[in-house]
Amino acid sequence: MLEGATTAPSQVSPAEVSHRYRRRSRAREIATAYALLTPTLLLLSLVLAYPLAWEVWISLTNFSPLNDGPTAFVGVANYRHLLSTEEFWRSATVTVVYAVVTSAAKLALGIGFALLLARPFRGRALVFLAIFLPWAYPASVSVIGWYWTLSPPIPTAYSVFMGTMKYAVDGAFGGGAWAFLSVILFNIWRGSSFIGVFLLAGINAIPPELFEEALLESKSRWQRFWLVTVPLLKPFIALAIFLSLTTAFADLANVWMLTAGRIVFPVVGTHAYWLAIKGGQYGPAAALSLMLVPVLLATLLVLFRIFDSPEATHA
Amino acid sequence: MAQVLMKDLNKKYDEVHAVKDVNLHIRDKEFVVLVGPSGCGKSTTLRMVAGLEEITSGEISIGERVVNDLPPKDRDIAMVFQNYALYPHMTVYDNMAFGLKMRKFPKTEIAKRVHEAAEILGIQELLKRKPRQLSGGQRQRVAVGRAIVRHPQVFLFDEPLSNLDAKLRVQMRVELKRLHDRLETTAIYVTHDQVEAMTLGDRVVVMKDGWVQQVGEPLELYSKPANRFVAGFIGSPAMNFIEVGIKDGGALWAETAGFRVKIPPDRAERLKSYAGQPVTVGIRPEDLRLATGGDSSDHTFDAVVDVVEPLGSEILLDVKAGSNTMVARVEPTVRVKVHEPIRLALNTARLHFFDKKSEAAI
Amino acid sequence: MNPRPWWRKLGHGSLLVLATVYCLFPIYFMLVQSLKSAHEDVFGNPLIVTSPTFENFAELFEREGEVRGFVGRALRRSYPFLDWLENTIVVFAGSVAVTLVASILAAYAIGRLRPPGFRWWRRIIFATYVIPHTILFVPLYQVVIRLHLDDNLLALLLVYPTLALPFCVWVLSTHFQHFPREVEEAALIEGASRARAFWKIILPMSRPVIVASGIFTLGTIASDFMLASVFLLSGHNQTIPAGLATMEVALDELLAVAGINLMAIPVVIICAVFARGYVRGLTAAMVEGS
Repeated sequence: MLEGATTAPSQVSPAEVSHRYRRRSRAREIATAYALLTPTLLLLSLVLAYPLAWEVWISLTNFSPLNDGPTAFVGVANYRHLLSTEEFWRSATVTVVYAVVTSAAKLALGIGFALLLARPFRGRALVFLAIFLPWAYPASVSVIGWYWTLSPPIPTAYSVFMGTMKYAVDGAFGGGAWAFLSVILFNIWRGSSFIGVFLLAGINAIPPELFEEALLESKSRWQRFWLVTVPLLKPFIALAIFLSLTTAFADLANVWMLTAGRIVFPVVGTHAYWLAIKGGQYGPAAALSLMLVPVLLATLLVLFRIFDSPEATHA
Repeated sequence: MAQVLMKDLNKKYDEVHAVKDVNLHIRDKEFVVLVGPSGCGKSTTLRMVAGLEEITSGEISIGERVVNDLPPKDRDIAMVFQNYALYPHMTVYDNMAFGLKMRKFPKTEIAKRVHEAAEILGIQELLKRKPRQLSGGQRQRVAVGRAIVRHPQVFLFDEPLSNLDAKLRVQMRVELKRLHDRLETTAIYVTHDQVEAMTLGDRVVVMKDGWVQQVGEPLELYSKPANRFVAGFIGSPAMNFIEVGIKDGGALWAETAGFRVKIPPDRAERLKSYAGQPVTVGIRPEDLRLATGGDSSDHTFDAVVDVVEPLGSEILLDVKAGSNTMVARVEPTVRVKVHEPIRLALNTARLHFFDKKSEAAI
Repeated sequence: MNPRPWWRKLGHGSLLVLATVYCLFPIYFMLVQSLKSAHEDVFGNPLIVTSPTFENFAELFEREGEVRGFVGRALRRSYPFLDWLENTIVVFAGSVAVTLVASILAAYAIGRLRPPGFRWWRRIIFATYVIPHTILFVPLYQVVIRLHLDDNLLALLLVYPTLALPFCVWVLSTHFQHFPREVEEAALIEGASRARAFWKIILPMSRPVIVASGIFTLGTIASDFMLASVFLLSGHNQTIPAGLATMEVALDELLAVAGINLMAIPVVIICAVFARGYVRGLTAAMVEGS
């Protein structure tokens, strides 16, 4: 015989108490939730929201250390001016081409890697590690290493080879092309690793029954790939592409920064930096930088709409 | 004293009224089963007793206390979940000890209780293992053990055997009943399986669509169902229902095409007011048998055999009488063939009548 | 399953070799280069190192306290590499810690406490990725100066988490949202408060996803060069990437490459150790998300 606890009697009005308890405890829950969200929101506001607001404000003025008088509000004049310059359209084109080319290449290679690793085989763990490494290798330093390898700053055994390549590419595409190419190659190298591992996780997440079902229905692996793998991976592909876009810009900025602007190919981000720091025109620079945001936002929405993410709709 | 009282209990989710005016008095040491089809509100009721769902209106008391505004951990209850809900990163011992550790019991007391429970359940060798190394039945035992060590006032079971295979389920059922006899603690058990309900419960509560349909001892529900739903839910194979009209021709008759039965005098009293109206008749398969020469036509009827299901200990005959389909349970020695016309006799003392509109028993 | 034909296996095998070479070659190349003496770097074969030496590494550390400027007729550059190393460790470990703590708290709020509009909170937080840091560093620098954090590691500790927070919050909140509620309920019935249930039950069971978030954060932070160079100015406060950029590359390239490897190797090792956990955590998050 187990003993039960002894309890004291209490008198309460049932409906009222349960109602009060419910409201009180839910309200407390909501308050806790907001409290827990605070550190994240604080960081994001401080680091992103406030500077963004500043940028938006500046883009609407002619703020500049070169000004004689006070800063004036110019509305959308900066934007209008930018859209009319040829430089802008050139750098915008280069930016878009850069983003598209790198994303496409990264996606293709990434899918390839993921498929290679999808089924178990001897030594898979090692190959997986190999494919994981490019992303794991700190990009902040490896981008430097890549750049120096492709454009050796001092004479080395391979500098003649590199020099010839550089001469050829620059000759064909204009000055700075070779350096630009080195950034593209680096970004693709690193991004394909990231997307590869990411999509591998996505493939692992597909219940094996679906593949077995497809084995019964389809004739070729190619068909199975399109019928089962691609539709289920779509949302993750969208997510991976989106994330890799950010790194594309970051990598380019890194190299630009490193070489103090010797990459001449203008891209929206570097162009803005040049305008601001070198040219002192913070207004147009801010306007230029901000052009990226709606574009990225639109890309985010389009990517998720095209790929019909269950995560986005589920969330 | 660990009685559980539910007064005018209601639960609403936005538009859905899941539990409607439930009033239950569960006595100390009683094993009560809440049974019904999915969506009937049984799990929701249990979870309100546990404190896992907010009570929309009404009152629940455990022992002498009203527990409406008490969090689960202060209600002195223990719960066993359908999918065990064991902590995968802890050993069996730690799983069972967790609740006691939370309440700051001394280590020696914890060890004593865990070993005691492990011995009762026969899981002493498993104490150092992790849940993923255990079979379904073993996990279920650990879940029960976790509940036992706390010596709660009330045990709550939420379909604990549903995830086990049939054979294991039967075995665990017996063990649970033995356990309850030994521990003598109030228990509320939820299941959708009426066999579990009948075998385990001191009393059974049948629920449907949020309403309590009937409360009573198992045999009472079997022999005196309060309405058509309970009649059809309890007992397997289910009760046969036939739509008949009541004819007053001297004596009262229940009849429809292909089926005509004289209503026994002790029931005629109440059915007189239904003369000329349609009524539902219920007769259990076990109350039907092959007619012999001695059976009068008052309580026999013709039927054609549709399907023969031999079970070894008995035979189930699916028959058709007129436009009515019925199931009859007969002796295993009976030899009939499909499409063979036969004559069935029924036990008039075991006839059930239900109002066609309200479905209540007459 | 039919055994695959030999030519299929060969194709698969050669693709594997190709992929492995493609991925590892640049790493190998840089590693090899750091092991070359200056002589071999100029005259030897670029692909292999015939007489490996650690002199580059040694010299990198030797340059610690030296004076900058001309000594005699040689231009000596001093590189406080140990400082860089220390700073890097502090910043990386600190940022990962801040990111994980902030994102776990936020994820619990969104995934389990679910205040009204929680889905929108999650989307908004993730959508901050449409604002690349590269366009913000001018005003960001203003903020840093205003807070008197210029040339201070704390600046990075504030900014780095925002690089990975949106992703971590998304992944962790989805995980918590789909966490089996019965396990939490069992803990609540047994006497745990919500906080203790979280700490003792939910968190330990969430280890794979947390590891995935941590590794993602580490990889993302390790790719930042720009912010570190802009915010950290003096040699003694710099992290390795920022410091390497200040080196006179024309003269000390091999030293710089040695420095690159010194930073890369530990990071790679950490990531490699947790690589399987990373994939498992991502997979778990994806299974729950879909």
